[in-house]
Amino acid sequence: MKHNTFYLIAGIVGLIEVGLFWLSVEWRNPFLIMGGFIIGILILYALWRTVTDLKMDERALLISEKAKSRTLEVFWVLFFAVSLGTAVFGFATPLRIPHGPPPPGMNVTSLPHDLPVERPFLGYIGIVQLILLVSLIFLYLGFRIYYARKYGDWDEDEE
Amino acid sequence: MKNNIKVYRAMHNLTQEALASELGVTRQTILAIEKGKYDPSLELAFKIARFFGVHLEDIFMFGEK
Repeated sequence: MKHNTFYLIAGIVGLIEVGLFWLSVEWRNPFLIMGGFIIGILILYALWRTVTDLKMDERALLISEKAKSRTLEVFWVLFFAVSLGTAVFGFATPLRIPHGPPPPGMNVTSLPHDLPVERPFLGYIGIVQLILLVSLIFLYLGFRIYYARKYGDWDEDEE
Repeated sequence: MKNNIKVYRAMHNLTQEALASELGVTRQTILAIEKGKYDPSLELAFKIARFFGVHLEDIFMFGEK
C-alpha cells in the first residue's frame, strides 16, 4: 500500500471515530467509542505495516526516537502540573453528605453555599485529558520538526 | 565529524540518490552526512567505506567538526 493511501484511510477512520463519539454521547454509552477507538487504532497499525513506499532509515528513526523521548520528558511535567491543579478541586470540596430526610424544622429548598452542586466531574476530567492528549500531539509534531531540521531533513540539495 | 563522502562520490561519479540506494538509506541521509549534520552509525560508516573500497579513516575524520 502507498503511504498516501494509508493517510486517506486514516482520515476515513478518524471521521468514523467522530461519528462513533457522537453516537456514544447520544446513546450515553462510553463503551462504544472506547471499543471503536481501540479497534480503529488496531486497524491503522495493521495497515501501517503494509505501507511499502516509505523508507525509514537510521536517521529517520533517530529523529522519531528523539522527538518521542523529548515529548515524554515535557509531557509528564505538563501532565503532573495539570493533575495537581485538578486534584486541588477534588480535595477542596467538602465530603459528600449522605442523602437522607432533612432534620425536622430545616428548610431544604436551598443548599448551603459550601455544598458542591452535582456536576459531571468525570466528564470534565475526560475533557482535560483530551486537551492534554492534543497537546501531546502538538508537542510531538513540534519536536519532530525541530529534530528533522537539526538532522538536515529540509536541506537544499547542491546537485 | 568531517567526512570526504562528497569527494569519493565525485570520484565514482555517483549521485546522492544512487549512493543512498546502494546503501539502503534515503538521499536526505547522505546529504545530512555530507553536510555534517548527522553522524552515521558505525554500521553505515563501515558500509560507506566498504562501498568505496577504502578504510574508515579515509572517509571520516574523528574529532573535527
